[in-house]
Amino acid sequence: MKEKVLTEHFGLESLYKIEVYQKQGGYRAAEKALKKMKPEEILEEVKKANLRGRGGAGFPAGVKWSFVPDTDKPKYLCVNADEGEPGTFKDRYIMSHNPHMLLEGIIITAFCVGISVAFIYIRGEYEAIALRLEQAISEAYEKGFLGKNILESGFDLDVFVHRGAGAYICGEETALLESLEGKRGNPRLKPPFPASVGLWQCPTVINNVETISNISHIILNGAEWFVKQGLPKDGGTRIFGVSGMVKNPGIYELPLGTSLKDIIFKHAGGMKEGKKLKAVIPGGMSAPILTADEINIKMDFDSLVEANSMLGSAAIIVIDDKTSILDVLKVVTKFYSHESCGQCSPCRIGNSWINKIVIRIAEGKGKKEDIDSILRLASNIEGNTLCPLGDAAAMPILSITKKFRKELESHV
Amino acid sequence: MSLEFSEKAKKKIEEIVARYPQKEAAILPVLHITQQEFGFISAVQEKMVARILGIKPIRVRELVTFYTMLSRESLGKYHIQVCSNLSCSLLGANNFVDYLVEKLGIEPGETTPDKKFTLSTVECLGACERAPCMMINFNYYGDMDPKKVDEILDGLK
Amino acid sequence: MIKIFIDEKPVDVEEGTTVLKAAERAGIHIPHLCYHPAFPPEGSCRMCLVEIEGFPKLELACSTVVKEEMKISTKSERVVEARKAVLEFLLAEHPLDCPICDKAGDCKLQDYYDEYGLFESQFKEAKEKREKKLKIGKSLILDQERCILCTRCVRFLKEVTKTQDLGVFHRGVNSSVNIYDGATVENNYTGNLAEICPVGAITDEDFRFKTRSWFLKEGESICPLCSRGCNILIEYHPGFSRFELPKRVYRIKARENPEVNGFWICDRGRYGYSYLDEGRADKIIMNKIEGENVLTWENISEYLGEKIKSLFSAKKTSAIALILHTWLSNEELFLLHKIFKDDLKVEKIFFADLPEGEADGFLLTSEPSPNRRGAQEVGFDLKTLDLDALAGGTDFLLAFDPFLSGLFSTKDLEAALNKIKRKVLFSSYSHELNSLFDIVIPVALIAEKEGSLTNVEGIVQGFQPALEPPGDSLPEWKVLADLGRDLGIDTKFFEKFPSPETILSEMGKKIPFFKQKND
Repeated sequence: MKEKVLTEHFGLESLYKIEVYQKQGGYRAAEKALKKMKPEEILEEVKKANLRGRGGAGFPAGVKWSFVPDTDKPKYLCVNADEGEPGTFKDRYIMSHNPHMLLEGIIITAFCVGISVAFIYIRGEYEAIALRLEQAISEAYEKGFLGKNILESGFDLDVFVHRGAGAYICGEETALLESLEGKRGNPRLKPPFPASVGLWQCPTVINNVETISNISHIILNGAEWFVKQGLPKDGGTRIFGVSGMVKNPGIYELPLGTSLKDIIFKHAGGMKEGKKLKAVIPGGMSAPILTADEINIKMDFDSLVEANSMLGSAAIIVIDDKTSILDVLKVVTKFYSHESCGQCSPCRIGNSWINKIVIRIAEGKGKKEDIDSILRLASNIEGNTLCPLGDAAAMPILSITKKFRKELESHV
Repeated sequence: MSLEFSEKAKKKIEEIVARYPQKEAAILPVLHITQQEFGFISAVQEKMVARILGIKPIRVRELVTFYTMLSRESLGKYHIQVCSNLSCSLLGANNFVDYLVEKLGIEPGETTPDKKFTLSTVECLGACERAPCMMINFNYYGDMDPKKVDEILDGLK
Repeated sequence: MIKIFIDEKPVDVEEGTTVLKAAERAGIHIPHLCYHPAFPPEGSCRMCLVEIEGFPKLELACSTVVKEEMKISTKSERVVEARKAVLEFLLAEHPLDCPICDKAGDCKLQDYYDEYGLFESQFKEAKEKREKKLKIGKSLILDQERCILCTRCVRFLKEVTKTQDLGVFHRGVNSSVNIYDGATVENNYTGNLAEICPVGAITDEDFRFKTRSWFLKEGESICPLCSRGCNILIEYHPGFSRFELPKRVYRIKARENPEVNGFWICDRGRYGYSYLDEGRADKIIMNKIEGENVLTWENISEYLGEKIKSLFSAKKTSAIALILHTWLSNEELFLLHKIFKDDLKVEKIFFADLPEGEADGFLLTSEPSPNRRGAQEVGFDLKTLDLDALAGGTDFLLAFDPFLSGLFSTKDLEAALNKIKRKVLFSSYSHELNSLFDIVIPVALIAEKEGSLTNVEGIVQGFQPALEPPGDSLPEWKVLADLGRDLGIDTKFFEKFPSPETILSEMGKKIPFFKQKND
């Protein structure tokens, strides 16, 4: 029987307090890791668990950690808590309900990779959550789970909360680094990758909140157990965030491979009264849209790639038949145009151009060629930008315009 | 209005700056404190921050104009930020904004003459399961409807 | 060395070379806007995307390092499409200012559109509006609408002058390059900003609306305004047949030299080019010659030779005096030393150079003349001109000096020169003080002749004429070579009609410092 990994105790009042967390077995994994395991063993376990990144890109965590070179330079861990992908709110739940679970994961990760300073880069709007995290960090220091010589293992770790200030692009790992260093959130060229050249030119591991939150469970219950909760190639569960026109929007922790149809109609209560399903965005706004006939699909990394979409941040946005696709497109193009950092020309100018066309169509001044222009421009952005935001914009714009072309053409 | 950081803020800034191997990295946290203290970050504040961190004021302005949450101009006592992204739009964010425009008598981007409310539309706040939602200063409010909005706004002094 | 293939052409390059540089060496130009060899790759313009076998996406040539057996295509269909796409994006928000933009004819956006674009505009929306005449430096204007945000200017002020005067404000399509509340760029290198801007966003008021780049010709030279010897390009208008222009030279640009000035020149050298055109002397002037034939270039050296020979035979070479300066080339100084110091044993050799200034910690040296080091290495001890020491017992004065009028008062000069029987001036400039001399012979400037200079660090740099000397002006080395022949000195050398090239070669044989400097 598949179990919940992350949200099991979320219903508990004051789970965010360290005493309550410890009562549920919290910090036992950290003890096991620091006292009974070697860093190489931890790395092996995480690799075997097939834990893929939960931020959006889905890169295997263990592999990422193994890219960190042996060096005398200080190493850093950045936890990506920027959660800017529209439709996504799972990390907010994790951090507000169970911040210690995240901290425990940080401790084990840092111990494994040889890191002594970790930053939690949290989006600026989550002020209350940042305060809760700082409170949890304080408690952890008091109980000796952070600071010097943690649990007598000789391992030191400091954790700091670093708040962003309203920029979706800072969720991109290299832009996050730039922002943390005190600069504009302009993504860097890759290679070099952050694992070798990251914060202040030092090796840096960057992982999403949900990814790190899984670590203590992997260590406590083993990689085999973790894989069983998901799929052979994608271990564990995902916290799916369902929003839009469903009866019960919210978070649903389910095994990887759960059917999208089930998530919407079984778990999230189905469509709201009087609404019919028209389209679903399966993995946050950047994931190509699926039509109502395409929802018979398993929610795991590979299945969605096969369907020309992506699992991304597992944020499911449900769109009903009374909603105009033109309005959806308008929101999408406005978002990327507003969030573009402005460094590279295809994203900076392309997104704004497409947005201008869509606005013009919405004002009733559109022409037939405009639909083709949108497709052409979005294709020109795709693959030609400095960072993934270009693709993140192009993919939804292309999929929405292609799959709902008829409806869009009715506006010109 | 004082043109110096309060003692409390100075202490917090000192503590924050000490966390980073390079002073500059403290700039975002310091700017948050600055906006908290003064309500905005104008040229005066830019120069103060620049002096504390040993950088040029132009670098501060580069950041203040980059990040949406930092403001160069003074805002109302309550900054109402309505999410205009997808899930909230699906659940009627436009009507919600229209309602606020009518109730407050200002357009998004403007501040009421009594300087009590500033209205803005913002991108995804990360509270999509409670759409349509808004953030007033840093407090989240979800599942908005006209009645709830009235209750909340009327309750703000 | 490793072997790679660019457009199917095998190329051998050093390890660590980028695709862009490797292609350059193979004679293939990959278009680029934000990349500048002085800075690490930026990767934001996306113009240099190329196709590399084995890579799923197009990659940047400016930042991708070559690997053994790499196969690169700079002309594949995908690359052609990508270039068009990038150009289309850049031009979409770019104002159609070409008819009034100074950069026209010199503009990378125009050039690349010409070569890789040639599509019709599909942009039907309203373009973004920004500031078009923001003064950002003492002679710099920024047009934010034309700016393509390559950030070369921002990076220059960060990496080179380390003054960080420019920054990028706002985000996305609202991004714009800016100064801080009127704090204009104030250093000695501002002119480089207009030069590195690939489009007409930063323009120079010194050049604004004065001419069109396609009227200008280019000549290579060396800046003589200090002893750094920065390599420059002189852009001049060759003129129209029907009417004369007020000046020839419109602009100085930097010329790359990794050993001397890197990629840059200072503002003093960039904007101080009026010395090339203003107040030039172009005719031989004879003020007080009675009963002599008219002097021309053909008989000048003869005339001088005669005067010197008569003093020599009367054992009165001590009555000869020379005023020199260090704008003279290595070759000219060598000839002067050979004739007057070595052979005629003249003692009264003085130097009247411009007064020392202040170095700026980068290129500008405190010495305001280009060849002091050259004069030293040739063997002169640079005695400063003392008017009393000069005039005492001097019958014949040869002055190679355009600076006298700025260094001494009319009264003092007149008093000194009145004591000297015969005085000849070699100068490039017409000045009222020239009337104090018997003969004024117009000479060419460094930009107008051939030769070499030795910079402050001892680097010998050759130069060729970039401009034509005006009117009757000719280079000093020619007079001196003829004079040497007329005087019958070192016939083996002078009979061969030496040129600057052969003179430098001779210098290499006679003076160890100049031995390996022949290039």
